[in-house]
Amino acid sequence: MVVSESMPQTESKLLSIELILARLLRVGSIIAALLVGAGIAASATGGAALAQRLITAGLLVLLATPIMRVLVAALVFVRQREWHFALFCFVVLCALAAGIILGRGI
Amino acid sequence: MIEIFLIAIGAGIVGSILGLGGGIIIVPTLTLLFGLPIRTAVAASTVSIIATSTGAAVAYLQDRLTNTRVAMWLEMGTATGALTGALLAGVVNQRFLFVLFGLLLGYSGYNMFRARKSELPTGVVPDRLSQKLNLGGSYYDHLQHRQIDYQVTGTIPGLIIMYFSGAAAGLLGIGAGIFKVSAMDQVMRMPFKASTATSNFMIGVTAASGAVVYFARGDVKPLVAGPVVLGVLLGALVGTRLMIRMRTTTIRKLFIPLIAYTAVEMIYKGVKWW
Repeated sequence: MVVSESMPQTESKLLSIELILARLLRVGSIIAALLVGAGIAASATGGAALAQRLITAGLLVLLATPIMRVLVAALVFVRQREWHFALFCFVVLCALAAGIILGRGI
Repeated sequence: MIEIFLIAIGAGIVGSILGLGGGIIIVPTLTLLFGLPIRTAVAASTVSIIATSTGAAVAYLQDRLTNTRVAMWLEMGTATGALTGALLAGVVNQRFLFVLFGLLLGYSGYNMFRARKSELPTGVVPDRLSQKLNLGGSYYDHLQHRQIDYQVTGTIPGLIIMYFSGAAAGLLGIGAGIFKVSAMDQVMRMPFKASTATSNFMIGVTAASGAVVYFARGDVKPLVAGPVVLGVLLGALVGTRLMIRMRTTTIRKLFIPLIAYTAVEMIYKGVKWW
């Protein structure tokens, strides 16, 4: 374990991808939370059908967020010419896509 | 609905601190306390794992606790593992798997217990692949008020373990965050906080692949999953604020009983159904 006060050389590169992904995940979770919250409020006031629809929409936004995260990470790595890591993301996306296609059949 | 909401907040706090999904709290609560069917509970829990992961990842990314490069490398293992697990489910003897994974967890719990007093790993020599991929990381520890640089080793063994943890997630319908943290902590020798933050970041993707199936089957009940997700998101906001100020040894003390409990529970399930 090396402990130092200095920043590693890759700081700026890593910082950018982390802030981009943080922003994406924040937007995704806020939209999902607002939709789910609105749905719960609707169910409390008696609009059962509307409530179901709003909450389901929120849950789907939540579900899409990590998948978007892998996609955006892949794009950032391509832009930074980090080909290895772009390939890793691509493998993950292929596995996710295969899971979605096969999963629907189960 | 209020009770579900409050318990979900607790699950979000614990899950975000320990790098787990919180399913370990959500599933028993929904089935035992609220009498919901197991499929509804597991579906709600899987969606809530995405919520913990997403909510916690925002803070951990900004605090630079998450090692995104390690996460991308290891996600190849978890994603392909989860796919294999989903394909093999129904073919493989689940009871045998429960016992096997339970024993593995017990072993890593024992190792973690032995390392319970250590705050940070020492003398880690990065392997060649780790150097080539520049997997080492750095974060600012708010408790010690200093920047912590660390190296990563066991790059290939780590990926192989992630493949099996992904397969366990797919086969057994669990988040498998408990395997991810153990692997990063003990095999790849990452600092414990970086391990839980990185596991948190990764479990969202593992859970998303499972959640798609539950959605397609209609197991996701909005009126159950909705309050759980909202509670877990709030809990994750609180948990992340707590975690960056906690001692590693304190987090380990929370983690070890949970790993022991999960190990015993898995072995028991396997033996009970034999």
